[in-house]
Amino acid sequence: MSDDSTHRGNLPNDKEFSDEEIVKSHVELSKNKHEPTANFLLAPLVFVFVFGCLIFVCSIQLSHSTNSFQLHPPVELIVLTAEEKETLRLDRKISSGEKIFAARCASCHQANGLGIEGQFPPLAGSEWVSADPAVIANVILKGLKGEIMVKGKKYGTSAAVNMAAVPITDREIANVSTYVRQAWGNSSTEVLEDEVSRLRDESSDMQDQWIGSELRKMFSDSFSQ
Amino acid sequence: MPADSPDKVIDRSAKLVFSFFLSSAGLWLLMAALLAYLAAAKLTDPFFLSSYEFLTYGKIKVAQANAFVYGWGGNSIFAVSLWILARLSQAEVRGSVFLVFAGVIWNLAITFGLLGIMDGHMSGHEMLEMPTEVWPAMLISYLIITFLALVIHRSRQVRETIAPQWFILAALLWFPALFLIAWNGLEINPARGTLQTVLSMWYGQSLVWLWLTPVALGAAYYLIPAILGRTIDKYYLAIFGFWCIAALAPWSVVHHLEGGPVPMWIPAVGTVMSIAMVFPIAVASTNFHATAFMDIGKVWHSLPLRFVIFGTLSYTISSYIGVVFSLPAVAKITQFTIINEFHFNQRVYGFFSMIIFGAVYFALPRITGREIPKAAKSFHFWTSTLGVLMLLLAYLIGGLTHGVLAGQPSLPWSSSVIHSIQPYFLITKFAFIILAFSQFVFVVNVWRIIFPNPFVYFSAENKEASV
Repeated sequence: MSDDSTHRGNLPNDKEFSDEEIVKSHVELSKNKHEPTANFLLAPLVFVFVFGCLIFVCSIQLSHSTNSFQLHPPVELIVLTAEEKETLRLDRKISSGEKIFAARCASCHQANGLGIEGQFPPLAGSEWVSADPAVIANVILKGLKGEIMVKGKKYGTSAAVNMAAVPITDREIANVSTYVRQAWGNSSTEVLEDEVSRLRDESSDMQDQWIGSELRKMFSDSFSQ
Repeated sequence: MPADSPDKVIDRSAKLVFSFFLSSAGLWLLMAALLAYLAAAKLTDPFFLSSYEFLTYGKIKVAQANAFVYGWGGNSIFAVSLWILARLSQAEVRGSVFLVFAGVIWNLAITFGLLGIMDGHMSGHEMLEMPTEVWPAMLISYLIITFLALVIHRSRQVRETIAPQWFILAALLWFPALFLIAWNGLEINPARGTLQTVLSMWYGQSLVWLWLTPVALGAAYYLIPAILGRTIDKYYLAIFGFWCIAALAPWSVVHHLEGGPVPMWIPAVGTVMSIAMVFPIAVASTNFHATAFMDIGKVWHSLPLRFVIFGTLSYTISSYIGVVFSLPAVAKITQFTIINEFHFNQRVYGFFSMIIFGAVYFALPRITGREIPKAAKSFHFWTSTLGVLMLLLAYLIGGLTHGVLAGQPSLPWSSSVIHSIQPYFLITKFAFIILAFSQFVFVVNVWRIIFPNPFVYFSAENKEASV
């Protein structure tokens, strides 16, 4: 084989390489990288430059995005304004109250808060609900006995409503009564947990349920509104 | 009687093995095409074949990927790499009986594996879904074939090696390494927690990058100088390209976990490494295209080379697209969309298969001494070009649409998001029909050359040998 055949770099030709030629010429190429030239070669410079840039970009990317190779992602700090915090707190309180209502109250008072006529008094639009927060909290704490008037209709309470026997925390009472006071078109103020615990302390000596008329007399101001 | 040229002797020694692996690869290709069509059809019409439990989407989608990668990919890798290694080493293929025996085991293992998948015995590891019972058979048969490939390489005439040999040998050796690492980490000593997911995903993606890709690159490094009759331009860069792929590719694949429940540094390192992959991609594309574009007329007129250059161009373009999609800002949109299908399909159809088609059309006439009709080859080229472009564009545009729409929580999911990507699924269905048709043409081309008269194959061969 002549030397010409191994150095057919840029000349056009019609021949195909045999395998022997392919191997020989490329082995030759890896020994003498290129034919001697007067000027420098552009391609290696370009590749060195490109590779340098890549290493630079990659190191910056690496230091920015690896989270210092820690196992857990960083905790995201969410900064809220006082107003947003207040809204969020109230939303949580009401949604918690909704769950408590669905679990413990809705079987009698119904999910729509309308109760059952003649048996269970309604909560939606009820003056007992929208009266002073202490009324609803006291009723939940101790229960009611005797007859009451709700929205102009008479309801007799059954003896079973002995709330003292029902374990419920102050926070649950605050949440559920806030929910009831703001659901189904009711728009009364929030009930606070502290207020409930104050009422619990005050009525801790009471053995009996509340009597409707008695309670109504105590908070007559708020009922008349 | 003049003595045969050494190439003729080598080709004759490779004939049985090459024909066996190529014809089985063809059957797997058709099988995968059928499954791909069924899977695509189910995406547009959920009631299509819905009464057959073994043809549910989850099963055929997985079976298709496995049939394609191990069936078509594996068999065609064996055929092409054994022949190229034998030619470059100027050494005969020895132990044909063992090679065919190992090939039969390999194919049986995949057959049982696919039946296992259809039967619901999937393992749940990416690209290792075949039931664990067939893994030993696959590994052993693969090792036999690799051993005999190394025997060919060992008996080479010239001590120094060149680029095609590096890539093909490396791919042959990387597969069992990947397979053993995955097998150990997933089944023998199962990794705990997140690591198992990472490993499974790493194996599935590395298989494409370290097994299919290097074989195709090696074939291109061989075919371009062989057909054009000129040396690879800027050949001194090839060695850097090779080592960069070896070092970076297994790291870069983990960028697919971006946004997944893994420690942040894993996808971050993957992203960085895939940005660095620009270098080996640039090297390969410079080598191939600087050489090919010196004589573009010849590339156009030689059909095998047209396939190869289509493959290398597709490799370059879509690898760069892949790099862009790995950037966190872009991945935010494209992650968890059908863009993933784009990545897989561009690699296996647009790049690997196209180069293998070129290699087969180059090798087959030399090995069998029979020419494939030019019209048949040309028809195959244009149908597969059309199919691949349709498929990839549909997945690319559909994936971007999917990502942009899915990023807006206010949009109703099924009526808005799914509705907008439905047309792209329809396009992919037609693309898979076109591809299936084109692959059928390929298999017919190949089988007609290997078995011109199916019933007298062996006696014909004996006659040839005695002449």
